[in-house]
Amino acid sequence: MLKFSKSHEWAKIDGSTAMMGITDYAQHSLGDIVFVELPKAGTKVTQSGRLGTIESTKAASELYSPISGEVIEVNKELAGKPQLVNEDPLGRGWMIKIKIANQKESEGLMDEAQYREFVEKEKH
Amino acid sequence: MELKKTPLYPKHLENKGRMVDFGGWAMPVEYESILKEARATRLTCGLFDASHMGEIRIRGKRALEFLQKVISNDITLTQPGQLQYNLFLNDNGTVIDDLMVYNFGREYLCVVNASNTDKDFEWLKENKLEGVEIVNESGITSLLSLQGPNAYALMKEVIGRDFNSKYMRFAQENINGKLILLSRSGYTGEDGFEIYSSNDDALFLWDLILEKGKKSGLVLCGLGSRDILRVEAGYSLYGHEISDGINPLEAGLAWAVKFNKDFIGKDRLLEIKEKGLSRKRVGFIMQERAMPRQGYTVYAGNAPVGEPVGSVTSGAYSPNLDKFIGMALVDVNCAANGGEIVIKVRDNFYKAKIEKFPFIVPKTLH
Repeated sequence: MLKFSKSHEWAKIDGSTAMMGITDYAQHSLGDIVFVELPKAGTKVTQSGRLGTIESTKAASELYSPISGEVIEVNKELAGKPQLVNEDPLGRGWMIKIKIANQKESEGLMDEAQYREFVEKEKH
Repeated sequence: MELKKTPLYPKHLENKGRMVDFGGWAMPVEYESILKEARATRLTCGLFDASHMGEIRIRGKRALEFLQKVISNDITLTQPGQLQYNLFLNDNGTVIDDLMVYNFGREYLCVVNASNTDKDFEWLKENKLEGVEIVNESGITSLLSLQGPNAYALMKEVIGRDFNSKYMRFAQENINGKLILLSRSGYTGEDGFEIYSSNDDALFLWDLILEKGKKSGLVLCGLGSRDILRVEAGYSLYGHEISDGINPLEAGLAWAVKFNKDFIGKDRLLEIKEKGLSRKRVGFIMQERAMPRQGYTVYAGNAPVGEPVGSVTSGAYSPNLDKFIGMALVDVNCAANGGEIVIKVRDNFYKAKIEKFPFIVPKTLH
């Protein structure tokens, strides 16, 4: 189940875990990404809480967690290849895996159609 | 306030340039990718619209006398047909702007930073001598910058014949009846040209360079890559390494200050020189992956983290080095080449090493 936050993160929810990253719209707005600062495994995160920082050539942007839980895995490939976030934001550019604390939270996130509509509004 | 547009604005839109407000101008920060554009300029060549830059002409009987009074360098060291890096200074020795002066023999063209053009023009008028005419030609002049190892070969194609050209020299050329000022110079550290024309001819030149550039691997470049390239080259930028709070000696620009002539700001600068500098501009390369940005605090590199000793003035990720690089103003005691410093990025401290400019020496230069 693919869900989206208003701060342009995606969460792929699979049972009790969620993989997350930033959306194609987000990576395109940020431009070339040169560094991604992520929390270590074991870190507790809360929905909409600060998760890390994305550095593009232009600016540093905050990364927020789409869902509460505990970080169980971090995409180590991003340390050397942050450009994966630009090239494949929903695939190899994933950022962390979270053990979900509260399943109900995902109901507050948007589905793909809703997110597309949200982005269209934000563009104008 | 509506943003000012260069004559090439429609071309930027046509090429999907990402337009930003740069000092009141609508300029492309990138077309496709800042990093790709910065790489292409070092590998093949890049074309930049720099028409936002200001052009101020100085002429009249006492043009030379006046110019010498307002610039820090000494234009008499150049021949007509040469250009020279210069600074306008305040009475207190700090920097009003940096600029290139084009020596035309009996008149001079000052090319200044876009956001400082009006300020510079007013300041020049305030200090004007009788018999000097100061003309702001920024509104009628366009500037294209063609930079990179393939720039010379491409320029031959554009002009349609071989031509004489040397670094930091300029000449008037005629392309299909259109007069241009062709200057072998730039802001990237690469070989290249700065091409001045009337606004009316700018679109024609852009199209011609683009058409001829297909074979040369020409890439359109925005201001984002221009900034990375100038940091790689170790060039100062107004508002970063130089400003009305920084003097040219601490900015490492003493080579552009000639004390054997008079100029505004000289007396104070001499005092500063006598007293000794307290801080200095340095270049650094991050030893860990972290992005340095203007304003970040620099600490001494002894212990894990020493005392604060200065701050970052510019930072960039260099795609040509695959390293994070930058410049900083630091305490003179911490400014030695090879020295270690520490930079605070948000809540963390990262090691960096002071390195000599330029960070990149182009393979084909001049």
